[in-house]
Amino acid sequence: MNGWHGRILRVNLREQTISTETVDPRIARDYIGGRGWAIRYLYDELDPQIDPLSPENIMIMATGPLTGTPAPTGNRYMVVTKSPLTGAITVSNSGGDFPTWLKRTGYDMFIFEGKAEKPVYLWVNEDEIELRPADHIWGKEVPESEDLLLEETDSKAKVACIGPAGECLVKVASIMNDKHRAAGRSGVGAVMGSKNLKAVVVQGHRNTAMADPEGMKRLSMTVSKEVGVDVKKGSALREYGTAYVPVVTNELGILPTRNFQAGIFEGAEAIGGVALKEQYLIRAKPCYKCPIACGRETEVDDKGYEGAGEGPEYETLAALGSACGIDNLAAVTKANYRCNELGLDTISAGMTIAAAMEMYERGFIPESKIGKALRFGDEDAMIEHVEKMAYRDGFGNDLAEGSYRLAEKYGHPEIAVTAKKQEFPGYDPRGAKGMGLLYATSNYGASHMAGDIAYSEVFGVPEKLDPLTIENKPQLVKRYEDAFTLIDATGMCVFLSVRYLFDPDMNLFPSRLSEMMNLTTGEEYTNTSIMLTAERIFNLERLFLIKAGFTRADDTLPTRMLTEPLTEGPAKGQVVELDEMLPEFYRLRGWDEQGVPTQAKLAELSIAA
Amino acid sequence: MRVIIRFIATYRSYLPCGTDGNSCELEVAPGTLVGDLARQYGIPLDNSSVILVNGHTIDLEEPLQDGDVLAAFPAMAGG
Repeated sequence: MNGWHGRILRVNLREQTISTETVDPRIARDYIGGRGWAIRYLYDELDPQIDPLSPENIMIMATGPLTGTPAPTGNRYMVVTKSPLTGAITVSNSGGDFPTWLKRTGYDMFIFEGKAEKPVYLWVNEDEIELRPADHIWGKEVPESEDLLLEETDSKAKVACIGPAGECLVKVASIMNDKHRAAGRSGVGAVMGSKNLKAVVVQGHRNTAMADPEGMKRLSMTVSKEVGVDVKKGSALREYGTAYVPVVTNELGILPTRNFQAGIFEGAEAIGGVALKEQYLIRAKPCYKCPIACGRETEVDDKGYEGAGEGPEYETLAALGSACGIDNLAAVTKANYRCNELGLDTISAGMTIAAAMEMYERGFIPESKIGKALRFGDEDAMIEHVEKMAYRDGFGNDLAEGSYRLAEKYGHPEIAVTAKKQEFPGYDPRGAKGMGLLYATSNYGASHMAGDIAYSEVFGVPEKLDPLTIENKPQLVKRYEDAFTLIDATGMCVFLSVRYLFDPDMNLFPSRLSEMMNLTTGEEYTNTSIMLTAERIFNLERLFLIKAGFTRADDTLPTRMLTEPLTEGPAKGQVVELDEMLPEFYRLRGWDEQGVPTQAKLAELSIAA
Repeated sequence: MRVIIRFIATYRSYLPCGTDGNSCELEVAPGTLVGDLARQYGIPLDNSSVILVNGHTIDLEEPLQDGDVLAAFPAMAGG
């Protein structure tokens, strides 16, 4: 095969057996890879009703056909499993170096089944594959775990591992790779922890064959040069990382502030990219072969917040910063480091603490339960609760369940700003209506990565849209969801793809991405056929959700978003008119009034459900 | 009349010399158009820029009002 190895590594942790499988070329073509292959396998093999933290769950680490190719930013992998946070499928994706190294082992995808009796890690160096004891690493934080694993395998290998949060089955635990990059969302770290799997260490030199290596090299060079020209002219992502965004979302009045009680934060500039650059930036840090380099290598020496690492990124600044009412950048950066070291999703961790702060201030959680005051703006309490959450220590045990279960436990589920029990990312959808529909309809709960229509509603890529209108948003959210599904399946990064590989208009035709896929795999995808493939993947995920018990009632948003207007700024008076968008969205998707794909749609997509 | 310009991220370089932070207040002639003011400071007026007035996307041919905030930043994949 070209593009794909066509080989999967299956690891049964209970039996301690490892086997290799080949992939049916039709599955390869019709589901592309990454997120697509993963859902095809999960749909066939996983009972959607199982407890996500039981040994019956299956966890997949998948690369796409463009991972590890010359395609700039072709370096993503995703963790696909049933989420303990949402109960739905999840696709949690990450860059760094690990994805390319995983692919170079000679496998496209690893499937993990069962639960090991004792902590183990998987070491894969091409044909040298073994499960090794990890008792001596269990309990250690991410950086130390990685150092120990590289010492006993190969110093040039790459590691994905969990920290204490994953081991403690925290429902918002991440899987960290290359120390600082996170497959952050939906509690994938807890699934790994539930399997007693501490880490996956990969090394190899097996590149995939390409259908047209010269053509692929040429196109990749062309794209890289275009990015290079833009970077030379001045790239916000290179200069400031995603940390430049708080000032932008604040300008639109949609920066989550004090648990989404407001959309304007007086400290936006203090936690923004300029402040980060001037105070803590060491250098811009690219993922493997990325010409953009949005990552931030940083160091903080402010007393009490000392540390070093990568980030924070925008989502972290919103969650641990403005959502908690905190404008102390040193403290937010410190909390970001601690989340990464402990293996916690910065978004869900921050937003959960923000929900707890609101509940404390409203008197819904008594101080005796928390042990001390937990007010908005208290940066030291925020950092302390990150720590407690990771270890399920005291009140941290409640926080570890995520904001929905926390708020429900204390009798006020309306305080949790979640969709399908997953915390919102950093865009208040009352001032970006497409984002509201996206959060409600994403297959894995509220997530910008599910189809970030903020690109158009906020950032002007490929065109600036009015964020406050609902006109045409169902159509555009569908396009964005399908586009991001495609990008995830190929193993590319969304930052580069939407800007440089899709046509620069709102049709979002992936002309150059299709071409890259054809040059790599030798298939003959067209814009139409490849978008239909993305739709096939999206719909199969939807079928999984339906079998797991999700209904139209789950495609919703918190009452705060539906009935409580923002009180100031450009989005003053706005709520999300979800009821007006959802029926049209279902119709455009080819789903019935209950949000179930029709037989006609399944036939059109050739889904053998 | 007085307006505020706020140039974000790499567009900070378009701010007048001596500006601290990303904003400054200006005196402009009544009737000054959004596009004219942006152009005056070198902001590209094509789809490589996002230009907002009081947080809203607005026609560049619209006149600014006293107290308006004109914000601009490069169109770019975001957070």
